[in-house]
Amino acid sequence: MESYVIGIGLHSPSKALADFRLEEIVYHTARAALDDAGVTRNQLDHVTLGASDEFDGRSISSMLMAMPAGAYLTDEIRVTDSGASAFCLATARLKSEEFDLGMVASWCKPSKTIVEVFMRLRGDPFFTRPLGINMSISDALFAQAVAKTFNVSDNEVCERVVKAYERAANNPRGMKYDVPSLNDIRESTLESTPLRIGHRAPITDGAVCMVLASERWLQRHPGHQPLARIAGVGWSTDSYRLGRNRLSDLVSAQKAWGQAVGNDPAKIDLIEIEAQTGYHEAAYVRAFKLSDSIKISPSGGAFAQNPLFCTGLVGAAEAILQVAGRAGPVQLPNVRCAAAHSCHGFAQQGNVVMIFEEPGIDHG
Amino acid sequence: MVETVGVLGTYQSNFKTREVDKTFAEQAQGAALGVLDASNMNPDDVDAIVFSLAPTAFMGVADADRWCIDHIFGAGKPMMRVHTGGATGGSAVHAANSLVRSGIFRSVMIVGAERISETPDAQKVLNQIFDPFYEKEMPLQTITTVAMMANAYMQRHGVKQEDLAHLVVRQRRSAMNNPHAHLKGEITIDDVMASPMISYPLKLFDCCPRSSGSAAMIIGNMDMVRKHQSHPAFINGTGGVSDSNWIGDRIVPTAHADFIDWKLMRVAGAECFRRAGIDDPINQIQVAEVYDAFSIQGLTQLEQLGFCSSGTAFRLERENAWDVNGAVAVCPSGGTLCSNPIAVSGLVRAIEAANQVMGTAGGHQVANVHNAVATSVGGIAQFLNCTVFGNDYVRTN
Repeated sequence: MESYVIGIGLHSPSKALADFRLEEIVYHTARAALDDAGVTRNQLDHVTLGASDEFDGRSISSMLMAMPAGAYLTDEIRVTDSGASAFCLATARLKSEEFDLGMVASWCKPSKTIVEVFMRLRGDPFFTRPLGINMSISDALFAQAVAKTFNVSDNEVCERVVKAYERAANNPRGMKYDVPSLNDIRESTLESTPLRIGHRAPITDGAVCMVLASERWLQRHPGHQPLARIAGVGWSTDSYRLGRNRLSDLVSAQKAWGQAVGNDPAKIDLIEIEAQTGYHEAAYVRAFKLSDSIKISPSGGAFAQNPLFCTGLVGAAEAILQVAGRAGPVQLPNVRCAAAHSCHGFAQQGNVVMIFEEPGIDHG
Repeated sequence: MVETVGVLGTYQSNFKTREVDKTFAEQAQGAALGVLDASNMNPDDVDAIVFSLAPTAFMGVADADRWCIDHIFGAGKPMMRVHTGGATGGSAVHAANSLVRSGIFRSVMIVGAERISETPDAQKVLNQIFDPFYEKEMPLQTITTVAMMANAYMQRHGVKQEDLAHLVVRQRRSAMNNPHAHLKGEITIDDVMASPMISYPLKLFDCCPRSSGSAAMIIGNMDMVRKHQSHPAFINGTGGVSDSNWIGDRIVPTAHADFIDWKLMRVAGAECFRRAGIDDPINQIQVAEVYDAFSIQGLTQLEQLGFCSSGTAFRLERENAWDVNGAVAVCPSGGTLCSNPIAVSGLVRAIEAANQVMGTAGGHQVANVHNAVATSVGGIAQFLNCTVFGNDYVRTN
């Protein structure tokens, strides 16, 4: 059975959403998604949460967060990999024909967390943790590996970062940072070789919710117009060991791409890539073998907003808005099919790809 | 067209206080190898993995499922971690069921491990599950909140502490036939009554142990069932429900699902039974592996699932209705009361129910099991799920 996205809620990003409790942030975002879909909470038959206890600072975050996200006397499951992973499970639940109308909710408020402390806790206590691996170091190892494998130059990385900031500057749902110069990026502080602070997308707080509906539900509710058809989802995982091949081969990214896209990548007009650094964008463009005609992250991607745990799902929302013709100043013409990519874990251990098409497209 | 989903194999370790000889990743590896062996499968036969892991704060390794990727043959495979507190294992089964039923994957391994003994006091971690502004300071934790529920339930229905003790005696005895069980043995009602008071009316023997161990289950579509399992247990019904965290809102007369009688389970059970075509549970279901971290919890669920009317389950306990040879065999494994590796406790309930249907429960196998139900409970008794396994495939939707 086909499944569709019928409503989106995106919270305004901020460096620190200090005026709201996490519950309030998620409630308002879920409320916006319900209103956008034109449905009420009582109509939901399942909720899928994507959230991290460690980021939220709670042992079972969903205890307090499920209800603001719309899960009250409703089936609810939480996944802890990423917001995009929750989207994949929610899609499966619709396709299982056990459910018809669901909410996907994900959020992240890293401003109340020392991110690198959490990242260091991800290391196993015997080998990885004593080495001091954290996000910066693992991303730098990734950058070293892909730079060598794909001949990615520092100049290319800096140009990709500047262009991402330029696209993000037009995104009303982003932070609208000032666009740095190439020199600003090149001469920014070295973080962990070869990564400079300027290469990295600034971290923000944020939240995103979506209402998903089955084909059966839409047939029963003809007044509701879907924003996009979910044409494919794919996800995969790489080894925990940060060896040379593991870092450079991008196996899980390619597997996720293959599962989601199938045999027809040519149909894709644009892709929102979760690129935590310019190196990541350079790597994924090559891993997915994207043709020059496919536009990269018209929203600005993580350089527009970057609520780490749900950055990929925010990218999915941007892709859906493009398909629906609702992307505003960053809208591209004639978008019929958009992809969104998300990654999570040390040096992007996990990758997720989602494909969205115009609801009325002929699928053959 | 959705896929029929069957259990291909299961594995559980022997549960104990500490796993001193293995790391967490090795525990998970043991479960993965064990379930592959039980299913006559190799790693390439598994399309995807759902990792069952509750709070990582117990162990102090964030996202510890990632540590296990290579140990459980996850590299290069789709993998996701499910976490709904104590309900995690049941939710993981439901998530995996959706992944197969939807046709996205042919087979999914559900695997997890628990190492709660890494923390000196789990209840201090569990205090952190509550609202940071109002509740943490009280101090609420899982035992005190269940004790409040028990007091109200017992007063409402005239249940005595000795009635709870009767259940504890039965389940510790049942666990003697289960090599995986953590607590087991012949004890008396007097022993239970004499055990130290933890939070009135719950005494030490009314409470589950802190268990470490691992478990796994592989489920698959009919093609995989035909290849790998001659006596499958089909996943015929699933139902889950989530309620408010706020207990005050759940005990007032206007509550949508009364906390004291735990009517939330009625919501999950009704959906599960509807899907499985169960309309007369006491005559259609032979085994109930209900999630009972405390002696008060299992039988209250039976009432809401429709095995008996509200407030009567403990009277029926005294009449031995829930014995292995009674009307319904309730927790013939000893239940969560005898082994509680939180990350996989719900999964173990599902494994025990599936094993009973497949006829592979070993020393605690109940005769002539056609249907078995498993439940799990998470959060502050706010996340409930229910799964029916049957030896014939039945689906009403």
